[in-house]
Amino acid sequence: MLSIIVCVKQVPDTQKAVFDPKTGAIDRSATGNIMNPDDRHALEMALALKDAHGATLCALTMGPPHADEVLYEACALGADRGVLLSDPRFAGADSLATSRALARAIERLGPFDIIVTGREAIDGNTGHVAYQLSEFLDAPLVSQIHRIRIDGAHAIIERQYGHEYQTIRCPLPALLSVGSRDNRVRHPRLADIAAGAVQPIRRMTMDDIGGSESDYGASGSPTIVIGAELFSHTRGREALPGGTAEKVEALVHRLKKHNILRY
Amino acid sequence: MMTAPYEQYADSRDVWVFAEIQDHERVLEGALELLTRGRELADALGSRLIALVFALDAEQYLPAIERHGPDAILCCSHPALKHYDSQIVPDMFADLIAERRPSIVLFPSTEAGCDLAPRLAQRFATGLTSHCTDLSIMDHPDYGPGLLVMKRPAYSGNAIATVICPHARPQMATVQQGVFERRERDDVATDIEMLPFSYDLTKLRIESLEAPLRWDKPKVPLEQAPVVVTGGRGLATKKNFERLFELAELLGGEVGATRVPVFNRWCGEERMIGQTGKTIRPRLYLGFGISGQIQHTASIVDSEIIVSVNTNAGAPIAALSDYVVTDDAGVFLAKLIERLRSEKRG
Ligand SMILES: Cc1cc2nc3c(=O)[nH]c(=O)nc-3n(C[C@H](O)[C@H](O)[C@H](O)COP(=O)(O)OP(=O)(O)OC[C@H]3O[C@@H](n4cnc5c(N)ncnc54)[C@H](O)[C@@H]3O)c2cc1C
Repeated sequence: MLSIIVCVKQVPDTQKAVFDPKTGAIDRSATGNIMNPDDRHALEMALALKDAHGATLCALTMGPPHADEVLYEACALGADRGVLLSDPRFAGADSLATSRALARAIERLGPFDIIVTGREAIDGNTGHVAYQLSEFLDAPLVSQIHRIRIDGAHAIIERQYGHEYQTIRCPLPALLSVGSRDNRVRHPRLADIAAGAVQPIRRMTMDDIGGSESDYGASGSPTIVIGAELFSHTRGREALPGGTAEKVEALVHRLKKHNILRY
Repeated sequence: MMTAPYEQYADSRDVWVFAEIQDHERVLEGALELLTRGRELADALGSRLIALVFALDAEQYLPAIERHGPDAILCCSHPALKHYDSQIVPDMFADLIAERRPSIVLFPSTEAGCDLAPRLAQRFATGLTSHCTDLSIMDHPDYGPGLLVMKRPAYSGNAIATVICPHARPQMATVQQGVFERRERDDVATDIEMLPFSYDLTKLRIESLEAPLRWDKPKVPLEQAPVVVTGGRGLATKKNFERLFELAELLGGEVGATRVPVFNRWCGEERMIGQTGKTIRPRLYLGFGISGQIQHTASIVDSEIIVSVNTNAGAPIAALSDYVVTDDAGVFLAKLIERLRSEKRG
């Protein structure tokens, strides 16, 4: 049976976020939290592999104590156990410090055949973590997956790469980075939600994964954010009048005026 | 880590640019833009600008790179470098960084750049700022002189964050294509250094089982197209979406998309505009059935003229538009094509 770990993150719901008009920062007290959208697709990939091949599935998250909510959700969807990596010493981590903590937790919890992550998180949008886990764990990474099957100690994967389709064979253990285009997510049934809420969640701190304080959190993060500003790009918004034919005329006229249409 | 004085980086000075090759046929436009900006950064620091190219028949790309002002080009040419490889290139690049210690390394924000940069940042335990929209140099009162200042969209594109990496080297950034101008110059003499290829190919883990298939690819990269006609969910069908190609042809432009058509497989991913796609600045952006979510619009705001067609006059894209057409996207598109055809026929 396969052993799979999926990394999920709790993020502010930026689509519905409330922003501080001065700093541009998200007002976290007024904004709800959700499982990062790409991570739902990562979880779906893991669940589909479990359905097809049989697997034990562990969901791992790093975050504040209430981030365990995404683990209960993952268990409701079919994960077998949840691990919350939470420690004030992890706070303020950039992508490098985050990847380091996750990699060390994965090493402690493993071994795993497959490690699945979302492509990027909507609160940071760096998209670094999967690649940096690939480096920390010395495992190959595959993204843009259309189809995957496991064949012994390998994964056979059809994927899109740039504007090409490829079929590749990749040895396990491997990392899969999954985004919203790669599959469609399932929704939990009410009964499963209730069951998920009683799954035990294992809590880990820095003491469980080793290393020193300077490896993690803000002090383990080489990048520093020194400012943020809001911006606005509103324009003239001239409404073109009349029925469709008049609007077409009006547009053609203006494109000529701007010398974009020349005949 | 926080106490490391900047003096320890006195020997890491140069500015490097990953000169990515696109489709094994040309130097990526975004790489030439980065060279242009990299030249300005190197001049501000009084250091050298170095371009790195890894490709099949890499010599053919040297003249184009040279024209954008690097002091030197490090070039490796080998058939195994035909496509970006996520083992070979990071390994070779890391050896070069370890040996020559650049201060700044810049990458285009492409599939390859976004693979290479975080891997290198991990290996050197340094910082990386991705999808940057501006780069400059500053002297910081606490963190020291000559720091790279990186700006990037934050909070879902509602703000711009300013980021530095004071205590580790190299300072690294990936940069959205299309945010910098590209300029040729002839006042810099360029040294060319050919690097031997000695990679042990038996180390490669990912194996290709069949020849890759190509699909839908813009004729002109969207970043360079003077007109970009863009479709969103409001076009409703693949059939409507495909008519955008007729309009693009008539206007001498290319077709772009929001995430929705890409997701629906009405078109390829190369056409996606936005935070996870391309940044464009055409003379004309013409959007059909697009709501104007920030993940899309942050990448179109430098267009000279923005026109939007939407049934909802209050859609967020209206606020960003020079001209607002309140109409059905499919119907307006068909009528506009008809009108331009009749004009062309004379
Ligand atoms: C992390 C993250 C990254 C993202 N990256 C990107 C990105 O790079 N690029 C991107 O585009 N999106 C991106 N998105 C998605 C983005 O948030 C929006 O969902 C997307 O841009 C919406 O596309 P749309 O405007 O086509 O569709 P919708 O938002 O659904 O808008 C459709 C519009 O069409 C109008 N309409 C409906 N019927 C008609 C009709 N008959 N005629 C005319 N108009 C009609 C509606 O009024 C509506 O305004 C990202 C999202 C996230 C969370």
